Amino acid sequence: MALAREHSEQSGAALPAPPSPGSRVTVRIVEDDAERLMVRRSIVSPIELSRDRGAMVTVWRRGGVGYCASADLSADGLARAASIADDWAATVERHGVFDGLDLRTLPEAGPLPTSGAAPGEPMPDRPALIALLRAESAAMRIDPRIVSWSAQLRLVRRTQWLWVDGDLRSHESVRIVEPNLEVTAAEGAVSQTRSLGGQYNGFCRQGGFEVIRASGLEGGGERIAREALVLLAAPECPTGARDLLLMPDQMMLQIHESIGHPLELDRILGDERNFAGGSFVSLDMFGRYAYGSPLLDVSFDPGVPGELAGYAADDEGEAARKVWLIRGGILQRPLGGKLSRARSAALGVPLEGTANARAVGWHRPAIDRMANLNVEPGTTPFDGMVASVERGVLMRTNVSWSIDDARNKFQFGCEWGQLIEDGRLTTVVRNPGYRGVSATFWRSLAAVGDAASVEVHGTPFCGKGEPGQVVRVGHASPPCLFRGVDVFGGGS
Amino acid sequence: MRRLFDTLAEVLEAQARPGELLVATLEAEASEFVRFNHARVRQAGRLERAVARLRLIDGDRQAGCAVTLPGLGTGRDGVAARIAEAVVDLRAAVAASEPDPLLDVNRSPVVSDDDAPDAVFDRAAFVDLVAQAAGDADLVGFCAAGPVARGFCSSAGSRQWYRRDSLAFDWSIHLPDDAGTRRAVKAGWSGPALDAAAVAAAIGRSRADASVLARPVRRLAPGDYRVLLAPRALGDLLEMFGWGGFSARAHRTGQSPLGRLARGEVSMSPLLSVVEDLDAGFAPAFQSDGYPRPRRVPLIERGRLVDTLASPRTAREFGLSSNAASDHESPESLRVAPGTLRADEALARLGTGVSVSNLWYLNWSDRAAGRVTGMTRFASLWVEDGEPVGPIEAMRFDDAVHRVLGDALEALGDTPLRMPSTDTWDSRATGGLEAPSALVSALRFAL
Repeated sequence: MALAREHSEQSGAALPAPPSPGSRVTVRIVEDDAERLMVRRSIVSPIELSRDRGAMVTVWRRGGVGYCASADLSADGLARAASIADDWAATVERHGVFDGLDLRTLPEAGPLPTSGAAPGEPMPDRPALIALLRAESAAMRIDPRIVSWSAQLRLVRRTQWLWVDGDLRSHESVRIVEPNLEVTAAEGAVSQTRSLGGQYNGFCRQGGFEVIRASGLEGGGERIAREALVLLAAPECPTGARDLLLMPDQMMLQIHESIGHPLELDRILGDERNFAGGSFVSLDMFGRYAYGSPLLDVSFDPGVPGELAGYAADDEGEAARKVWLIRGGILQRPLGGKLSRARSAALGVPLEGTANARAVGWHRPAIDRMANLNVEPGTTPFDGMVASVERGVLMRTNVSWSIDDARNKFQFGCEWGQLIEDGRLTTVVRNPGYRGVSATFWRSLAAVGDAASVEVHGTPFCGKGEPGQVVRVGHASPPCLFRGVDVFGGGS
Repeated sequence: MRRLFDTLAEVLEAQARPGELLVATLEAEASEFVRFNHARVRQAGRLERAVARLRLIDGDRQAGCAVTLPGLGTGRDGVAARIAEAVVDLRAAVAASEPDPLLDVNRSPVVSDDDAPDAVFDRAAFVDLVAQAAGDADLVGFCAAGPVARGFCSSAGSRQWYRRDSLAFDWSIHLPDDAGTRRAVKAGWSGPALDAAAVAAAIGRSRADASVLARPVRRLAPGDYRVLLAPRALGDLLEMFGWGGFSARAHRTGQSPLGRLARGEVSMSPLLSVVEDLDAGFAPAFQSDGYPRPRRVPLIERGRLVDTLASPRTAREFGLSSNAASDHESPESLRVAPGTLRADEALARLGTGVSVSNLWYLNWSDRAAGRVTGMTRFASLWVEDGEPVGPIEAMRFDDAVHRVLGDALEALGDTPLRMPSTDTWDSRATGGLEAPSALVSALRFAL
């Protein structure tokens, strides 16, 4: 309890007792301090800060669970929140989906080692960071056809605590860095945008200034501006079946949409069918279903240094560790936290899962989410993949994404395309896109890049849930080669 | 909430130093959330949250800070302490800032009050109502109930206030997922307070509507199909225009999907007129710079783009006239003018084709060309000679909006549907749109 008191004082919380006989209570306090710096069209935008702190109080009864989220961290405020959560838990107990379960057994007690990502290299002060962004912004103005250019940086410090029945279970603190550059070139009816890691911050990691250096932001302004001009003059990507070489900043999206979401156990159990959708994956597929070719190995790995969604424990206090989701192409386990696994077991399908009950912040309850979801490296060097293609397209940097509610029929687009002809990279093409079906697409995986070609990406914008939640996820991958994919270009 | 807003305004006046202007938008909600799966509760709880988005303006410099206030019932001391912490950070940020040539905030004190009555939400009664109305149907749904408030105040005396109590219940009725067929019908009910009889009746109607889904599922080949877009489907398509379509900034920086329409290279159907219309009642009549918004901004008139949404900041940047749009320059209260197609004649006019209930997961496949892709979802039916035959397997479309709503648009329905936003990303949204059905001669299915 000394540890609990210490952290209770540190976070400003006065922990509530279980509000009804036999119930259990968990309190998750989250503090986010964030800062956004931006230079857009050579004008320094106002500095934007945010200071957010509040508590998610959850009460667990035998057959029902309820929550109340509030920023009132006083003793009275948290006790009131616990009482409201208990009222909901009692209502859920009468009409819940938890038949045959004793939900009070789910929260795990006992402290986990206090953890936090390595702090990383110190960040320069604001004027120095603004000067860096201003320099890259200026470097993008290389041609009158450059009509929009921006450089931005978002920094987040997240600290959170989880108490179970008044005892500290976990405490984590991370720093998140999200740099980006974006430039648009336009001429007549044609407009092309190029960015650092995607227009929706595909380059984002935990750490310090080393993240900015690794992103390529320094010196990246002129490079992406020149690439936008190259795209402006490029032909449209051709249409037809071709081999497809996806670079890591597009593999990020491919993994996310057509492996990550379909493997979320709450979707498989039907929770999201009214909004985010279900899944083409069913409970009986685990352990036997050929998700991809034998080259496909996919891990859930919260321990990759710097990857965006690394943590020691999920938001319901389950300790996180690396596990295999797909091994040798065979589906192994879902992305399922403790509650979803208990529900699956109650349906007669016990499954191994992952510590992935996560929430965007204190104001939302945890649900099954991706975290760090990675395609493990293979053995083929990048040059070897290119050399093996007679007629194909290389695509990099996601720009468009759409997939059906079962996570099967997808259509994705990229910023940059380049033809591969007779084993060589040749013409740059614009508006490259491709379509496929998840259930068969991964079986066309023909080569996986080696360890030297792995890049760590992610997104701060993974949306799901009712009420909605946008969480951070990480995706590391090498380039991957797929055979016979339907590709196409732009135009109306 | 109103007391918290007034307290915030008083604190701003007390903490602003001479020469400083402090402004804030308040976003507050006290929400009851319930998720259903198999007509039983999956997840339920309450959220109380108030975020003050502060801006400190000192001469020609400014900085912003979004700060969560410590509870909806916080007294003056609690609010003052939290704001004081933020103001310290803001003064440091302003000191590190450069002059902002695009700074534009309304320094005149504007006072307005748009409030609505409170409603009572009985947790147990609502859950009982849904469970009883759904019966043995596989209902999956989400309810968000309670008040949502928006306010703008400043140390110069502005007090602009908007608050609505509402209940929005959004659900779908699912048939057994035989061989991955995913057959479901979508419905929703919203109002200022729970009308139990109306909700029960609406659930009953959606159960009846689901019966046609029991017929065999038809798999369509890619190609062009006649479609009847239900109001929700047309609404899904029009929401894409909020992604740069009407933004003055996007048009000026080569990033608008309606750029070709603006330049007159293409046109839409003369049947199509679209207005940003605050009288639809979806959104507050002020924006985050404190400017009152015009009641009506015609955006598309008879197929031609006649205006865009320009925020004060964009107006300064490009030398335009502002129409007090929000900073993201997306419509918040959109109305599509109805046409003449009667609901009881719509299927007959469709003849043979697809009746599309909802569209899903739309994205620009070529933004500059105005080409959009997405999926059909929920009760989308194959229709032959005006008669529903059965559900279709979800299809992907990929087509140009100026074609779908241009040459291909044959008619608009005569009865628009009000669709308040049910978005809950980060916080419960205000806003919404009103649209009729649309009969389209050809929509290009790609997969």
